[in-house]
Amino acid sequence: MSKKIILLTLQTFSTTGGIQKMTRTLAHSLNHITEQNHWDFKLWSLYDSRYDLMGQYLAAENFAGFGRSKARMGLKTLTQATKADIVIISHINLALIGLVIKILNPKCRLWLVAHGIEVWRQLSFVKRTFLKRYCDKVICVSGFTKTQMSNWHQLSDDKCVVLNNAIDPFIRQPDEFEKPEYLMNRYSLRSGDKVIFTLTRLASSEQYKGYEQVIKAVGSLKPGFPGLKYILSGQYDAAEEMRIKDLIRACDVEDEVILTGFLNENELVDHFLLADLFVLPSKKEGFGIVFIEALACGLPVICGNADGSVDAIRNGELGIAINVDNLAELEKTIIAYLTTPLTVAARESLQSRCLSYFNELDYRKNLLRLINDKLTA
Amino acid sequence: MCLTLQHGGPDDEGIFSDDRAGLVFGHRRLAIIDLSAKGHQPMADVNQKAWITFNGEIYNYAELKQQLLLLGAKFYSDTDTEVIIQAYLHWGMASFSKFRGIFAFALYDIEKALTYLVRDSSGVKPLYYHIDDGQLSFASEVKALKSAGIAVEPDSNWRVRFLAYGHIPEPYTTQKNVFSLPKGEFLCWNHKKQNCEIHSYHVITREKKITDTAEAREAVRSALTCAVKRQLIADAPIGVFLSGGIDSSLITLLANQHKRAQLKTISIFFNEKAYDERAFQNMILKEIEGEKYAHLVRQDDFNEFLPQIITDMDMPTTDGINTWFISKYAHEDGLKAVLSGIGADELFGGYPSFRRMKMLKKMHKIRPITFRIAKYFASDRFKKISFLAYNHPTADYLLLRGHYTPADIAGILDTDLRNVENILFNNKQLPYISNYDEADAAWFETNMYMQNQLLRDTDVMGMSHALEVRVPFLDEDFKRLAENIALEVRFNAHQPKKLLIDSFADILPRAIWDRSKMGFTFPLQQWMREHPDINNETLYKGKRAQSIVKDFKQNTMHWSKIFALYQIRMHE
Repeated sequence: MSKKIILLTLQTFSTTGGIQKMTRTLAHSLNHITEQNHWDFKLWSLYDSRYDLMGQYLAAENFAGFGRSKARMGLKTLTQATKADIVIISHINLALIGLVIKILNPKCRLWLVAHGIEVWRQLSFVKRTFLKRYCDKVICVSGFTKTQMSNWHQLSDDKCVVLNNAIDPFIRQPDEFEKPEYLMNRYSLRSGDKVIFTLTRLASSEQYKGYEQVIKAVGSLKPGFPGLKYILSGQYDAAEEMRIKDLIRACDVEDEVILTGFLNENELVDHFLLADLFVLPSKKEGFGIVFIEALACGLPVICGNADGSVDAIRNGELGIAINVDNLAELEKTIIAYLTTPLTVAARESLQSRCLSYFNELDYRKNLLRLINDKLTA
Repeated sequence: MCLTLQHGGPDDEGIFSDDRAGLVFGHRRLAIIDLSAKGHQPMADVNQKAWITFNGEIYNYAELKQQLLLLGAKFYSDTDTEVIIQAYLHWGMASFSKFRGIFAFALYDIEKALTYLVRDSSGVKPLYYHIDDGQLSFASEVKALKSAGIAVEPDSNWRVRFLAYGHIPEPYTTQKNVFSLPKGEFLCWNHKKQNCEIHSYHVITREKKITDTAEAREAVRSALTCAVKRQLIADAPIGVFLSGGIDSSLITLLANQHKRAQLKTISIFFNEKAYDERAFQNMILKEIEGEKYAHLVRQDDFNEFLPQIITDMDMPTTDGINTWFISKYAHEDGLKAVLSGIGADELFGGYPSFRRMKMLKKMHKIRPITFRIAKYFASDRFKKISFLAYNHPTADYLLLRGHYTPADIAGILDTDLRNVENILFNNKQLPYISNYDEADAAWFETNMYMQNQLLRDTDVMGMSHALEVRVPFLDEDFKRLAENIALEVRFNAHQPKKLLIDSFADILPRAIWDRSKMGFTFPLQQWMREHPDINNETLYKGKRAQSIVKDFKQNTMHWSKIFALYQIRMHE
């Protein structure tokens, strides 16, 4: 029997962050599943315009970008979403739309994707009502998020299901781990330099990513590691730029820290290859898709131990989780990695284990299982 | 291919081939440095480890050569070409960012079986490439790839882009699968794997923002003086284009400080009084010592040479006629290289767009859908407001600089509006514009208008007369300095290019800068209206095009728009 699935998102292609990357892979998987089963799939995005679509993820006829027009999205919801069998809301901020769909079409199965801090908090009345009364399933990107959903919103265990994110199917998986020469030149690195790498959004409004701790650690470690460099990548706002640069000056690491700003996606893998260690001691990652991307390039990672990152490193199998407030622990862990770098064989092993856990094929199978469970329920 | 590019390199010709790699390099030489036969290209190092075919100039080649000699490099010529090869052999890919100049070259590393295509950081010299079926081809002009039978199929979207922009924006061309290599980037072709990677060779440096006005003025003065001096390097005759505006006047005065009696100036004047800049040109000319050439361009010249100009432009464009004429005269006056004032408007806020950005920001606060109605406006000027409905950086640029709106283009080409929109706005290379400040305006002007229109047209029109046009304002060090000056010091809301003017207040006459902006403008509105074919509506296909020609005849349409239609007609 033909089924109609709609994925509603805020933004999928016009910006790049963890949520957007997760949504692209989810859309690609759903597109594949529905094609195989001759079902119908649509991805609707409120803030993207139709020109933003990245055609490799799904065909243009399955995508609608509303270019910030809530009215257009609302109208389309009223006319089409009410005929869907499954509607997946990729962000709690779309709760009102979900609520309307469910009221008009009670038979529709309504899922919410729960990422991280957007749901680990007190929610508005509409969002609470949506979660408790109208949402059929909450897809949690990590076990940590599932626990938080239970703690904050007292959602029952059977309503929440964990579906870990998968590696973007279009990311290059390197078969050699040489440091790219063009990046060595760009950052004026010498062979033998040790490179710590962080990729995250640097926003003055979000003070939980923990790169300040890494800057401080680099300050302490530099006497013992003369060729130590810290590449801190990601778009930053003016206030955060000033704050970070002040900290860099205060820690006397102006020669060690390289702020790159926005990183072009086609150079992402090369940056993972350039680095010796990926560090993001964040406190509030829902999952941390960047960790599995780094691991898929054979790059060891250090993450925080009090958020969803632990799912990405399989509770310590693939990386090390630390108490991010404990600077000494961070320094000690960095030293351990830098003094005993991974062999090529170890990097290959890390890469293949990461891919075995977080590949799109398994993700798709789990997704299909969820869809079938619901459809037959 | 070499024959097609003969006009830009009349002095010599050369071919290199390597059957093992299945590689052939061709070259046409315009000799400016080391005029002897030692400058023959394609060229190899003394040990024949690498081969190069190179177009352009490396201004700092003498400094690099000194450094390379200390490292043990051996040279057999005095050319900058050989310095590129040795720099690569000693520093690898890191050499690319050491070059200060205007260049596009292909370098074949025999041992590694790699070929690099490299383009200068300001994108002054063009480099087009085509990849098909494991084969890479490249050239300085698109027509070389066309005439060789490599890229004969047109890109079906070029007309839409051309009518919107007034040129074909990079990386696109008129031919399918022929792209322009982005400025400051290199393409590395692996002969064994038959694939390529493209990356920027820019080196990240840490520099403190200049926030003090006096410090900025001093730095601008010193860096521009240095850039002009550096770019005057030549073993062949060199001159300056003088229009009478701020930028070319400044370049002329600075060049005169170094070249004195050897500096030749080329200027143009018209019988049409409104366009006659001789009073301003003379103000500068009386300050300088060298030979001064002034040429009259008339309607008859325009009519006579237009077919040749259109042939020489390589790809359709609505500008460049001015550069074609002045390059022709520079060539006839015996010059092989000239300095031009391009780049100052973009760096220091010389265009109206710098002031219009604030308005654009305000308009973006209104719901985009509101602006859809503007496409029904009769006035050509107000019709462009419909670009705001797209809420897209390309649309913002086209609102500031574009020619026809998507609705008009669909009408002219008799195609679907949605098709036009998809072609124009499926461009993922533009950054997200959010501040709408002077820095964003400078980004648009530098990376879009100057890159795609001014620089491309200037190079192709100059080379059509075997003339190299150099651009001191785009010297890497000067440009980096300008971009490192805090916005509030670099731009002034009331006076365009105030910082540049103040930096040279002692040498630049007040009358040159204290007047309305003229630009390097020809009386083309009048000339095209009197041209026997351009304004003959019966020659154009379709009602929309014919009605535009009628508007033009009534003088309610800008000449550049009719010139775009005229070129579309010629390709039908």
